[in-house]
Amino acid sequence: MATAPARPARRRTAPAHRRLATALPYLVPALVLYGWFLAYPMADAVRLSFFEWSGFRTEQPAWVGLDNYVRLFTQDAVFWTALRNSVIWVGLSLLVPTAIGLLLALGLNRRIAGRNLMRAVFYIPAVFASITVAAMWRWIYNPTLGFVNQALDAVGLGSWAQSWLGDPEFALGSIFAASVWQGVGFSMVLFLAGLQTVPAELMEAARIDGANTWQRFRNVTLPCLRPTTVVVVVLAIINALKVFDLVVGMTGGGPAQSTQVLALWSYTQSFTNHEFGMGGAVATVLLIVTLALVIPYMAWSMKEDR
Amino acid sequence: MQHTRSLAALAAATALVATGCSGGAEDDPNTLTLWMSTQESNQADAMNALIDAFEDANPGVTVELEQRAVDQHKEAMRQVAGTDSGPDLYWYWEGPGLGGELVDAGMSLDLTEYYGQYGWEDRFLPAALSNVTQYGGFHGVPWTVQGEAVYYNKALFEQAGITALPTTYDELTAAAAALAAQGITPIEFGGTVNWDAMRLLDSLVETECGAAVADELNTGDGDWGAEPCVTAAFTEFKTWGDAYFNDGYMGISADDAAQLFFTGEAAMSLEGTWYAAQATANGMDPEDVGVFLFPTGTGRMYGFGEGFYINAMSPRADKAAEFLDFITSEAGLAIAGANWGVMPVNRNVPVDDTNPLNAAWSDLFAATDGMYVNNDQNFSTAATTEYWRIQNSVLTGDIDPADAGAEFQTFRDAQG
Repeated sequence: MATAPARPARRRTAPAHRRLATALPYLVPALVLYGWFLAYPMADAVRLSFFEWSGFRTEQPAWVGLDNYVRLFTQDAVFWTALRNSVIWVGLSLLVPTAIGLLLALGLNRRIAGRNLMRAVFYIPAVFASITVAAMWRWIYNPTLGFVNQALDAVGLGSWAQSWLGDPEFALGSIFAASVWQGVGFSMVLFLAGLQTVPAELMEAARIDGANTWQRFRNVTLPCLRPTTVVVVVLAIINALKVFDLVVGMTGGGPAQSTQVLALWSYTQSFTNHEFGMGGAVATVLLIVTLALVIPYMAWSMKEDR
Repeated sequence: MQHTRSLAALAAATALVATGCSGGAEDDPNTLTLWMSTQESNQADAMNALIDAFEDANPGVTVELEQRAVDQHKEAMRQVAGTDSGPDLYWYWEGPGLGGELVDAGMSLDLTEYYGQYGWEDRFLPAALSNVTQYGGFHGVPWTVQGEAVYYNKALFEQAGITALPTTYDELTAAAAALAAQGITPIEFGGTVNWDAMRLLDSLVETECGAAVADELNTGDGDWGAEPCVTAAFTEFKTWGDAYFNDGYMGISADDAAQLFFTGEAAMSLEGTWYAAQATANGMDPEDVGVFLFPTGTGRMYGFGEGFYINAMSPRADKAAEFLDFITSEAGLAIAGANWGVMPVNRNVPVDDTNPLNAAWSDLFAATDGMYVNNDQNFSTAATTEYWRIQNSVLTGDIDPADAGAEFQTFRDAQG
């Protein structure tokens, strides 16, 4: 008669408060740094938004309550432009580089000649500093000597030549094109990593069941890429809302503040205009917009995962 | 035991870092600290040579030069206002919106005592001196007095049939029209740096409003929304942008735009005294270039000044004054050369006329009837940002010239 194998002894886990006490000494240094360099400045920016202060140490910040917000919403013409541009940037960032990154990843996940070289080529712009990318694209868009207008001239489309960064109608889109060039490689790499987690047996089963390419992508690949997509989308939103250096390097927010974005306007108000209260108010709005977009999306995606 | 000692050393090091004790110059009576914005390499070399010469003449004294980018320099000055962690000396622009702001904040020491002691009142050019006396007393010593005027390409003027230099605004617009008719870009500007096109707008305000009203608008309580001359200035500005600026000006920098002048594609450039050296360095024969004052009709020259100030909190003001006395002396300015501008602020130092354009500037300064200052030096930085937005919006057609003045005044009113 066979005897049942002895059950392994169940490991006892310490109560949660004991585990926290054990972990705390290891967490404290990181928490202190996080608190000092991240949480405190954020809280201080919010606090400052209720004061008027020119940045002089000799001048005490004056409590003005909600005045900065009232000024921001009713008198600051640039704020609404910056908010609109930031929202447009988020929308475009969710669509364009994400979609292109996914398509590139799907294409370069196949066994094709020169695959690794092409992966590297598409990823390289992502390692450049944004200010370098800005300098390169400023030249590309130069109205007289730049590649874009010269190429249009060369193919007989000279009438399409523009002052790409000097015309408010085109400037934001022109900066965004540079951003796509820089950012698409990063999304591609994330999706490529995600594609390696798609089980081959699932794809095989779908193929045997007669699913076509689109059906396999829609019903197998895409669901398996859900965790990657969450990361890509969250990063796209955050990066879009904090876009700063590309705009500074290419237009400085111009012409006539038409490419201004919230992060740059907050900086400009604080460190150029020396209106730290207004700068803090813009930063607070940016914080609220970021949290309003990221938290519901993450909550929704975690709920779906459960 | 060793472990305990290591921890103690670490704690001590951490405490030192936390308290910011760097053993720096703040307690050394023989070390002067000098803050400047980041200088061009030729200027930095000249400043270091000045410091070396001063240190050689004053054994035991050290001058420590710290340079920061423009915005960081401004920011650093705000941070140290009213504290003893600032420099002994600082370099700054002299206009009311910049140097004047630090004077208001109590950062600048009134140097009346030193002006008497060293006889500086007799040393400096009147135009330069007026920049340090505008706040009452003597705040700072002048380091540069920069004029701005219209540089022109003689060959292109001749090609367009312009035989006499414009002496009135109408003659200037006629010259621009004649150049444009020949397919020549009349004047170049780079729009990504807002201060470049601002020079034309400032000059048009001076032209259309006259000196008294312009001063009231720029440095007083003049109402930008109520003066018809403001609308006239913005209207003219828009005309220049549409008809006479280089193509695509709004999307390029001032440096890129300047290349159009250096390569003979643009006939005029509204630039400062420093441009004489730049034009020559970029391959232009100074004999082929001329310079004339923007014909505002007021007789005043457009320009600004920069100076050195002694920090009111400095315990080494006497030594700092000695340093300022040296660098603005004939010996000091011989070392400084023309690296900061054409016109030496010391009236006993002759203009370096190795570049013929320098001599032309000397004549312009001699003939001028006072100065009107760049508005980014007149206004607070916040007002400047708004002024530039409106200026560029007029150029792009987003704001009607008739509404521009009122829109700027609305901002000024909100600022209080």
